[in-house]
Amino acid sequence: MSDNPDHPSRAMAIALAFLAVIWVSPFAWLVSNAVDPLAGGQLRLPAAIGPDNFIRAMSGSAAEQFRNSLFIAAGTATLTLIVASGAAYALSRLRVPGRNAFLWSLVLLRMLPPTGILVPIYFAAQRAGILNNTGVIVALTVLNLPFAMLLLKNFFDTVPIELEEAAHVEGASLLTILRRIVLPMSRAGLAVVWFFSFTGAWNEFMFPLLFSRTTSAFPMSIGLYSAFGRQGAIDYGYLAAFSIIYAAPAIAVYFMLRRNMNTGFAGVGVKG
Amino acid sequence: MADLELRGVEKSFGGMTVINGVDLSVGDGEFVVFVGPSGCGKSTLLRMIAGLEHITGGEIAIGGRVVNRLSAPERGIAMVFQSYALYPHMSVRQNMSFGLELQRRPKAEIARKVQNAADILQLGPYLDRMPKALSGGQRQRVAIGRAIVREPEVFLFDEPLSNLDAALRGQTRLEIARLHARLGATMIYVTHDQTEAMTLADRIVVLNAGRIEQVGTPLELYRKPVNAFVAGFIGGQTMNFLPLTDGALPLAREGASVELGAQAVMLGIRPEHLRLAPQPEADLLGRVDVIEEFGEFSLLHLELVSASHAGAGSQPRLITVKVERPVAAGETVGLTIERDHIHAFDASGRVLAA
Repeated sequence: MSDNPDHPSRAMAIALAFLAVIWVSPFAWLVSNAVDPLAGGQLRLPAAIGPDNFIRAMSGSAAEQFRNSLFIAAGTATLTLIVASGAAYALSRLRVPGRNAFLWSLVLLRMLPPTGILVPIYFAAQRAGILNNTGVIVALTVLNLPFAMLLLKNFFDTVPIELEEAAHVEGASLLTILRRIVLPMSRAGLAVVWFFSFTGAWNEFMFPLLFSRTTSAFPMSIGLYSAFGRQGAIDYGYLAAFSIIYAAPAIAVYFMLRRNMNTGFAGVGVKG
Repeated sequence: MADLELRGVEKSFGGMTVINGVDLSVGDGEFVVFVGPSGCGKSTLLRMIAGLEHITGGEIAIGGRVVNRLSAPERGIAMVFQSYALYPHMSVRQNMSFGLELQRRPKAEIARKVQNAADILQLGPYLDRMPKALSGGQRQRVAIGRAIVREPEVFLFDEPLSNLDAALRGQTRLEIARLHARLGATMIYVTHDQTEAMTLADRIVVLNAGRIEQVGTPLELYRKPVNAFVAGFIGGQTMNFLPLTDGALPLAREGASVELGAQAVMLGIRPEHLRLAPQPEADLLGRVDVIEEFGEFSLLHLELVSASHAGAGSQPRLITVKVERPVAAGETVGLTIERDHIHAFDASGRVLAA
């Protein structure tokens, strides 16, 4: 034990460094293997450095999988946003009896493990003829809606009703009020919902696995899984580069929306 | 510009009636103030005129046209809200041009009208600021500017000054009076502050529990209130009410009294209509309880001590007097009542003709 609380003891420093190494090592493994055309799957300094792995991970079926992932993620986020904001606005403004009980019971449904409702969802999609990536978007949107609605309702609640009344007196229609007043003032909340839906759908594994019947429809999450042990040998460099590319959009969206997210979370906090 | 007519207007929420058959006509270019305690229905009535609340019964006509079934934008009104209701994500200029843009007016016309309103309200330097960068008074002027650019037939103000501090309130009140003189538009103004009502109105409508108690010019309401409610509500300092015995107020001098007739049960006298007097000549005697110093005058709160006024119970009868010379707390003073300014009320609170 050191007397100075600002300086941890040697044992503490070693323990912290050990934890840091454990924490960082998977990322270090990813980076060192991705940039090394001769990667063999060990955690070591790259033997050579070149973009070959990245080039392979961005062409052919990998590029197709990237597009599929983007379609699913952007589609889910956008559809969730449109449906949830419509429903949340109504729930925020109309005096529906028991609306809070209604909202929270939806959230309860969402708490159930999605695996538990896989079978009915699968058959519903089969019957509707959307056993493809569009079906994935619909299924994920349905699962996203309760939280998205709850979050957006809280944001819409913070837009004073007088603003809408003022706009109404000035001749604005309901759609104009939504488009020019309510939605711009709830931008932070909309961004948060879009971001979470996007990353959630981008990371989604189970539904695409179930719904995608052809390899050309695979998103990256399934592509990464199926790339293990392809042609008998594991191509570690390709996998590492692929993983990094797979992670990139989520990180990019995060930075794009970070400013909005800060106010977004603050907004949620204010309303409680 | 237009006149405004309310005929038997009613409003009920569920089973509760909040507006009870209001009849009122407002002339073209008139400035009418609705005043009353909170919950009297004045804001509801204004919102019914605006088209923000449904009308349960009766008719509202603007410029001779019944507007019951017209939506707010079709009524030719503009409303200024208590909370200003400025769009926070739009600049002052955008806030003021929003309504005209919705009407698809030509850009040049919008720019001209916004500039004109900005000139009237001295908002020129702030046109490109966001509302959050403005003071409360400036925000209120933007809200008024937003109403002006639309050149409405009737302006509606819903307690526009209650979010301002006292100094700004006086200043903005003056600006609204000036604006009315300049535009000559019909204006309906809701407030709970009787000073605003007295200073701004051509005519005041006193509302209580969803009914009109009295309509009249400020001086009419001050001098000839029709009942105890109006008498107590209008006036800078609340009127004193003294109970009578057999229609008469016994005075401090032995055997003397003020006779008001058999029906009278209450005498009303404003604090400014009581005068300090030497005790032998006094109508009333009171011991000074609290002194409120306003600078230009003092308000004395007295406990009446003349034997006949001490009240039946142990509660001392309190009255207030407006005086211009210093008096010490605890001192007993004599008062005379200005006979010309006595109001007599019957058991139902109505004023009895003098």
